[in-house]
Amino acid sequence: MRILAIESSCDETAVAILSGQGDVLTLESSLVRSQIDIHQAYGGVVPEVAAREHLAYLFPMITQALVEAKVSADDLDAIAVTAGPGLAPALRVGVEAAKALAWAWHKPLVPVCHLEGHIYASWLETITPPQFPALALIVSGGHTELVLMRGHGSFERLGETIDDAAGEAFDKVAKMLGLPYPGGPQVEQLAKQGDATAFDFPRAMLDKPNLDFSFAGLKTSVLYKLRANEESLNDAKFRSDIAASFQEAVIDVLIKKTARAIAEYSPKSIILAGGVAANLSLRTNLQALGVTHNVDVHVPPFAYALDNAAMIAVAGYYRALAQNFVSPLTLSANPNLDIV
Amino acid sequence: MITHNAAETQAIAADLARTLHGGEVIALIGDLGAGKTTFVQGLALALGVTDRVKSPTFSVMNEYRVPDRARPGHGVVINSIKRLIHVDLYRLQTDAELSALSLADERRADTILLIEWPNAVSVDLAPDITVTIEHQGEDEREITIATK
Ligand SMILES: Nc1ncnc2c1ncn2[C@@H]1O[C@H](COP(=O)(O)OP(=O)(O)OP(=O)(O)O)[C@@H](O)[C@H]1O
Ligand SMILES: [Mg+2]
Repeated sequence: MRILAIESSCDETAVAILSGQGDVLTLESSLVRSQIDIHQAYGGVVPEVAAREHLAYLFPMITQALVEAKVSADDLDAIAVTAGPGLAPALRVGVEAAKALAWAWHKPLVPVCHLEGHIYASWLETITPPQFPALALIVSGGHTELVLMRGHGSFERLGETIDDAAGEAFDKVAKMLGLPYPGGPQVEQLAKQGDATAFDFPRAMLDKPNLDFSFAGLKTSVLYKLRANEESLNDAKFRSDIAASFQEAVIDVLIKKTARAIAEYSPKSIILAGGVAANLSLRTNLQALGVTHNVDVHVPPFAYALDNAAMIAVAGYYRALAQNFVSPLTLSANPNLDIV
Repeated sequence: MITHNAAETQAIAADLARTLHGGEVIALIGDLGAGKTTFVQGLALALGVTDRVKSPTFSVMNEYRVPDRARPGHGVVINSIKRLIHVDLYRLQTDAELSALSLADERRADTILLIEWPNAVSVDLAPDITVTIEHQGEDEREITIATK
């Protein structure tokens, strides 16, 4: 089975072609056109710009992907597309394009949840994919969730953030430190030189028995620490210490809640997913947790941690095997689409 | 009014919820971490919204259904309100970007429209109510509610 996948839920316009035979997956093309440069100039991800840019890139990218994969439309068996969650105007571009192609080429259409796609990134470039049940920790600018995956297409949310996402906290702390968007990676860079024990920032929700997260209080706590030390705002050591202590607080909570979920659900694998999976310190800590609990940890290949269509293609492939098709006439983008 | 914790801020939001009829646009003004989202959480709960109200900074716009019957004990029986739309314009930089959201279309008699960071761009929806939250200390906030 060969799948063409389209992703346009936020910053990136992406197209991929993947073929599968049972559990053997071959990625034949994966193209990502990032709008981050445009957004950097604007200081944020902006729906209107995102939609316009997605539209301009999408069709030439589909043509290029077919050329790279050395196939034609006739060789495709299904079309997969991210149906949500995401920014409505951006999502709509991909969904409408996928619907038009499915209709014109008479191909079955598979809607994919963006979060499910992030989880499936761990099926790329590996000969030992995750085993079920798998526990996924999804950490990005818009999401912080623990999801139990019992099998292909079977997901249960165990917990999530009740306010800000972890990636959002990184971006807002970056903003408080006067760093440009998207600030998460710069906060990580700063943290490398800092002392993570310099400031004792709060670890919210650890006293609660559930698997939910909260990062709004941490954001406010960092703000007050900066306000109380205005004279040090340009001091390199102070800034690194703030970044390191903040990052430590985020990772500490993520790891402890994941540990709790491992104890409760005894997964065979742990999957790290989402843009914050690029954070090296989070990766290292999660690997160590896996060693402690004797569970294998799957971290997406670097190229597929951020938004891409290859991961949507894998998710779409397994959904297509299960015949989870929808009519091009009824599918519409759903900004609030849930993983389950 | 001065509040000393998030719960007190949410109680003020609940009081405001009891005065709403539907169709109101509410602007929320305040710095990072002031408590705008916290305020909306209190207001939504009082209206009977059962979904979790999370920060809309990344998603820009979240929509919640208001059930027909209000939560017992909250004293709100306003069945004319069917939806709550929670918008955050923090990441928007130019007026043109706003047009894609079609906010004016969302202003309906059965909807409460709450907007964080309304000053990020010039919203052409005049708010009916402006809630201003100012940092006074780590857990203290001064809240001012102005009605048009
Ligand atoms: N008196 C108070 N009123 C409201 N929030 C308070 C108060 N005291 C402490 N807090 C805390 O401050 C934080 C406010 O964060 P919140 O995300 O609601 O702010 P916000 O104004 O929406 O920020 P942003 O600009 O990032 O969207 C919460 O963690 C809340 O618990
Ligand atoms: Mg907010």
